Amino acid sequence: MTLPAALDPSTWNPALNIVSYRLDNGLTLMVLPDQSVPVVSLQMHYHVGSRNELPGITGISHLFEHLMFRGTEELGPEEFARLLQAKGGEINAFTTKDHTSYFENLPSEHLELALRLEADRLSHLKLDDENFQTEREVVISERKLRSVDSPFGLVEEQLYSTAFTQHPYSWPVIGWDQDLRRMTLTDCLAYYRTYYHPGNLTVVIAGDVVPESARDLVDRYFGNLSSPGSPVFPKITEPPQRGERRAVFKKVSQVETLVAGFHTVGLDHPDIYPLTLLSVILSVGKASRLYQEFVRSGRVADLEAYLAPPPWSSQDPDLFVFRAVAAPGTDLARLEVDVWDSLERLRKDGVEKSELARAKKILKAQTIQGLAKNFFRGLLVGLFHMKTGDAQRVNHILDFYEAVTQDDLVRVARQYLREDNRTVVTLKPVSAIESEALGPLA
Amino acid sequence: MTGQVPPIYQVGLPTGLRLLGVEYERVPWISITCMVKRGAETDPAGRAGVADWTAEFLTLGTAKRSQRQLADDVESLGAVLSARAEYDATYISLEGLAEDFPVLMATLAEVVQTPGFPEQEFPLLLERRRAELTQLLDDPREVATRRFRRLFFGEAPYGHAVRGELESLDTLNLADLTSHYRREFASGVTSLVVVGMVPGNRVEEEVRRYWEAWQGGGPASSAYTTAPPRLAAPGLYLLDRPELTQSEIRLGHLGLPRHHPDFFPLRLANYILGEGGFSSRLMARIRSDLGYTYGIRSRFHFRRAPGPFTITTFTPAENTAEVVREIKGVVRDVRDNGVTAQELADAQSYYVGHFPQGLETARTIAQQVLAIDLYDLGLDYLLHYCEKLQAVTLEAARQAAHTHLHPEALVTLVVGPAHKCLKGLEDLGAVTILEGN
Repeated sequence: MTLPAALDPSTWNPALNIVSYRLDNGLTLMVLPDQSVPVVSLQMHYHVGSRNELPGITGISHLFEHLMFRGTEELGPEEFARLLQAKGGEINAFTTKDHTSYFENLPSEHLELALRLEADRLSHLKLDDENFQTEREVVISERKLRSVDSPFGLVEEQLYSTAFTQHPYSWPVIGWDQDLRRMTLTDCLAYYRTYYHPGNLTVVIAGDVVPESARDLVDRYFGNLSSPGSPVFPKITEPPQRGERRAVFKKVSQVETLVAGFHTVGLDHPDIYPLTLLSVILSVGKASRLYQEFVRSGRVADLEAYLAPPPWSSQDPDLFVFRAVAAPGTDLARLEVDVWDSLERLRKDGVEKSELARAKKILKAQTIQGLAKNFFRGLLVGLFHMKTGDAQRVNHILDFYEAVTQDDLVRVARQYLREDNRTVVTLKPVSAIESEALGPLA
Repeated sequence: MTGQVPPIYQVGLPTGLRLLGVEYERVPWISITCMVKRGAETDPAGRAGVADWTAEFLTLGTAKRSQRQLADDVESLGAVLSARAEYDATYISLEGLAEDFPVLMATLAEVVQTPGFPEQEFPLLLERRRAELTQLLDDPREVATRRFRRLFFGEAPYGHAVRGELESLDTLNLADLTSHYRREFASGVTSLVVVGMVPGNRVEEEVRRYWEAWQGGGPASSAYTTAPPRLAAPGLYLLDRPELTQSEIRLGHLGLPRHHPDFFPLRLANYILGEGGFSSRLMARIRSDLGYTYGIRSRFHFRRAPGPFTITTFTPAENTAEVVREIKGVVRDVRDNGVTAQELADAQSYYVGHFPQGLETARTIAQQVLAIDLYDLGLDYLLHYCEKLQAVTLEAARQAAHTHLHPEALVTLVVGPAHKCLKGLEDLGAVTILEGN
């Protein structure tokens, strides 16, 4: 049977057409034209995240992300979001360890408005004490939501602060409570001047747009802005871990839990691909090893082996995390022994050819499915560019996975997933009274 | 906008099963969903979870394949098999690469039509759910949402959690699931929705091959369409969780069914009240002006029968009473004074402008087609969706808010530390202290 070309999977080309520009002030623009749906994803990626913070002002990147919505000389608080939402836009932002990203997914006819407003808040942000105090309270509430009152938030914070002794990945993106309370408007102004300028900005426009027109628009609104150049930040390397570290965290809980992390690599390292495949083999899907060995029987409420896949992987070496939530009645110590035994079998015996093939197909399918969204396409390109300097890797990502062999998996399992490189934090449940006696949670 | 709306094709089989499909060209993906138009509302009293467990059980082995074999076969294609019940319907979905369409369609038919109901899987499912539900007790957001539902609806069909309740887990048995399957999985209440890079005629061919002979069981339960006779009394309720630093707050009253003629004006009015993020009155007041919360949202849960209208937020415990008071003030203001012309225009242009984004992925298109079929919205619904939104007048939006918002009828549940918030709440009125989880 002959299929219409548009409905023939074999004629589909997954390669993204990336048209790059660089303005004189250092701003990088990447355009991914695609006219099939009349929408665009405009993404402003500032190359600053919690890794650029210092003790005492942890969380400033994320708090600053909030302040970017509090108005400019022209606009009142949250008016930025209201104006663009009224055009059908999906407006939001997120802060990670490595970058702070703002996005507007909206009808392509309103791209110019979005660019004008983004340039306005980059150059005319209203940073006053009233806005700062209000947003600080909001972030303190968000920290309570995401960390303090959440089931495992503080336990995971303990994992990172134990595993990293020198690198800034030791503190959470949302920051420590006392730093959020201590921070001042002056800190924020200094941060704004250092990191928010065209030289530290990558703009991605994916969707219904002509590259030259997009470049002209970006040049019109951003071309005149000055830049002190790329910020210089010292490269901090976490020293190799020389022996297992363990910690206990007590809180009110129905379940015992352990989180464990092994130091691995950053996005720029080729081992990120076999490590990602390993995480899929271990815990993605109901045929995965850990599901079959532990989850299916109900022995755990949850068991996950996770490493953010490229390009969401961290820029600097991060942790390959195991999180095991014991089911009621399951002995956590016994469970931990059995999980590491399972890992040891993998290190010793390797993986089946079919397991690797399954993992590759899962990642291929996830990638293709994601490419339906301009937002996802833009993120792939923007994140690869920022963290590795090479946006074109997006067009080779499936080849990188395909090239991984069974031997590679054994090698990375032995190299990274070993006891001396491991940090383990266990959550030990206590009563509300015992919890109170241990002091306030923050 | 009309030119962007993909045509929906429809085929009716003699058994009553319907196929609805959309040809999708963007990426070589296919989403196939079998929707049985009966869901968790059919769970027998005291047996919460039967519909959802039945759905999951279909994925735990067929007459030909074990759980492991089925999972291996599906995942080796990079595909995802998922099964869940919601209120009003149950969904068994298989999504994967379009190149694998024939095998995906055959597999979904096997899962739905010839489940193995392997006995040995039942205790495993039971233990998985027990572990999952126990773990949820540590999440204050989940505790508040689940407790509000039970408090508000009581024993009514929308009153229990879809995935089950910890207290009644052990009353369920395999026979509950098999009898649910035999009763509700009937071709006359089942539709297949297929969205993907496959021509409609090929989809129809495969559907006829694998589904034409299937009639399933029946007769399915009568559709649940009426409001429950009794609901919780309006007022303040507190579940004490002394270890928390914030209070989770839920407010609600009875909402409307999906077929209500005020759907569009009320949707717009509610966007302005609390669904429109930073464009909403609740977010503007509670977050932007006062800094009391990171997020707040109001929502009408439009279902076959009247679902709840809910407002969801959280705040550092010391602010609890103030936040409850402020929320009620905002609801009262929208009810009494309506919305402004500018707010309405912004809400309309939001939904109209946002509409094309719902056409980017096969899954989001499928979700819209499923809703069209479940609630009989008509195959031309998407074609006229934007017109209907734009036709709503200021008076209609005001009238909808005035008629359907009832601040005096709000049931308010706080899950938080009593030692930090009870006194303030008592200043607002009598507080009923709840026990248990």
